[in-house]
Amino acid sequence: MSRKHLYEVPVNIPLVESPLIVLGVESTSHTFGVGIIELLNNRVRVLANTLSQYKPEKGGIHPSEAAQHHVNTAHSVVKRALEEAGITLREVDAVAVAVGPGLGPCLRVGATLARFLSAYWNKPLVSVNHAVAHIEIGKLVGGMRDPLIVYVSGGNTLIAVQRDKRYRVLGETLDIPLGNLLDTFAREVGIAPPYVVEGKHAVDICAEWSNEFTPLPYTVKGADLSFSGLLTAALRMAREARKEKSQLGRICNSLRETAFNMLIEVVERSLMLTSKREILLVGGVASNTVLREKFEVLADFYGARYYGTPPEVAGDNGLMIAYTGLLQYLYGRTTKPENLVVKQRFRLDEEVYPWLP
Amino acid sequence: MASLTPTLIARGAEAEIYLVDFLGMKVVVKKRVSKPFRNPVFNKVFIEHRTRTEAKVLSELYLAGVSVPSLLLVDEEAGVIVMEYIEGARLSDSLGLLRESAVEAIGEAIGKYAALMHNMGIYHGDFTLANVLLVRSSESGNRVVIIDFGLAGYSTDIEEYAIDLHLMSRSVEALYPELAEVFTRAVFRAYREHSKVGGDSVIRKVSEIRTRGRYVDRELRKAVLRERYVE
Repeated sequence: MSRKHLYEVPVNIPLVESPLIVLGVESTSHTFGVGIIELLNNRVRVLANTLSQYKPEKGGIHPSEAAQHHVNTAHSVVKRALEEAGITLREVDAVAVAVGPGLGPCLRVGATLARFLSAYWNKPLVSVNHAVAHIEIGKLVGGMRDPLIVYVSGGNTLIAVQRDKRYRVLGETLDIPLGNLLDTFAREVGIAPPYVVEGKHAVDICAEWSNEFTPLPYTVKGADLSFSGLLTAALRMAREARKEKSQLGRICNSLRETAFNMLIEVVERSLMLTSKREILLVGGVASNTVLREKFEVLADFYGARYYGTPPEVAGDNGLMIAYTGLLQYLYGRTTKPENLVVKQRFRLDEEVYPWLP
Repeated sequence: MASLTPTLIARGAEAEIYLVDFLGMKVVVKKRVSKPFRNPVFNKVFIEHRTRTEAKVLSELYLAGVSVPSLLLVDEEAGVIVMEYIEGARLSDSLGLLRESAVEAIGEAIGKYAALMHNMGIYHGDFTLANVLLVRSSESGNRVVIIDFGLAGYSTDIEEYAIDLHLMSRSVEALYPELAEVFTRAVFRAYREHSKVGGDSVIRKVSEIRTRGRYVDRELRKAVLRERYVE
């Protein structure tokens, strides 16, 4: 996302005369991020988007370790963001924070910081749904008004549309999310952590070791997906294959192909169901180049417009929280520090968002 | 002279639907096609397996009196099914145009057909508004026809049946939230009435499936699961 570029807000917002600045805090999972955004009429400008990621040395995300990382880095991330933006906290008009869905201990770090900033500097406070933020930033950067939304990350796999000022979920995973499937497999067979090296996931790197394909359980129910059977079967196959590189490559390739084909199939079906002309891919897994290619071919085939959020805003970040907080602030949806609570389970379709069609 | 020039009338997620004038009779040719974004292995499996299942299910349901298009021809390897042409609009496009009483009647018809289908051990697999055609007629009233059995299969597991009902109710919630309650209630009511596989337990399973989604309130999930164990 360019810092100089002015992005036109693709949703209806009340007209405000003077510029507004919102600071957003993200801490739902492994990322502690702070973003600062400025609204000028109906356009926004990125002032800052800084973050620090917790990377486990072994295993997956340990919630309290991740929270400890956030506590340790919060101060410097906020400071860096303000420096980058060239502003002081006094100039901020509102503070936004992601209150869920996410890991409890991690969420509480962001919430505590936001409550403090709001109370101490006497700024309006906005609580933001993390999933909504992923989608809103995608719509902003991609300039999309009414896309078919595909949200894939370590914690979510869902397909949604906007309807009656709400996000409506058409299909979702019935068990584990796609990102979680890839991460868990990589971890269990010993090719991760690190999960991502130079923008490539461990499973993608491993899949390059082979072109072979072996059928694995394929579970699609309407527009819903189930990945747990696929994971179990792939892990069993990996145990039988021992440590042989080409064998593991074959399993990675098959696992990825099966999982991505499942997702593509439900997206294709949802596209038919809704007749949308735009497809928006958001969330951490949206950075996956193999998946992006598949989406490009799919969109091309149906003559739809495709946009995949670029890596710096696809993964968790503070900017998307700041932007979504800004939208809510414009509609007067603020809260008091003493009333702000974290919501580990906070569904995308739970609330009404006044800017939606 | 009958024209054999096929007209593409719809492009589904996995097949192209052509309208063909066959010896003076209008028929639909459903051709499953390879997709460039799909793995070649899946292309083959999708085409052959799903064509075979769809043809089998269609003919069985038609004979049992479920409202589906009648099957005329099938070629598994080519992925082609030829069937009766139904002139109607998808419910996903047309439900909103109807009055509440009509919506209720349609919900009941869908519930009934779902029950008849499940009674035979068949599940649809993609039971949404987009896969139900509405045929409007001033003399005989509205009629619904269930289409697209590409994801259908045979199972005695009530989970599969419950997923059908779950998909139908969620598709109406996504597309016509204001009609969802009336419609879904009618579907469930008729389903209970005609089910011989334990309509109540299937419907209870629907609420359980609902709570499996991500981030569903934990208390709600517990309450639903508790209910299941109380039985």
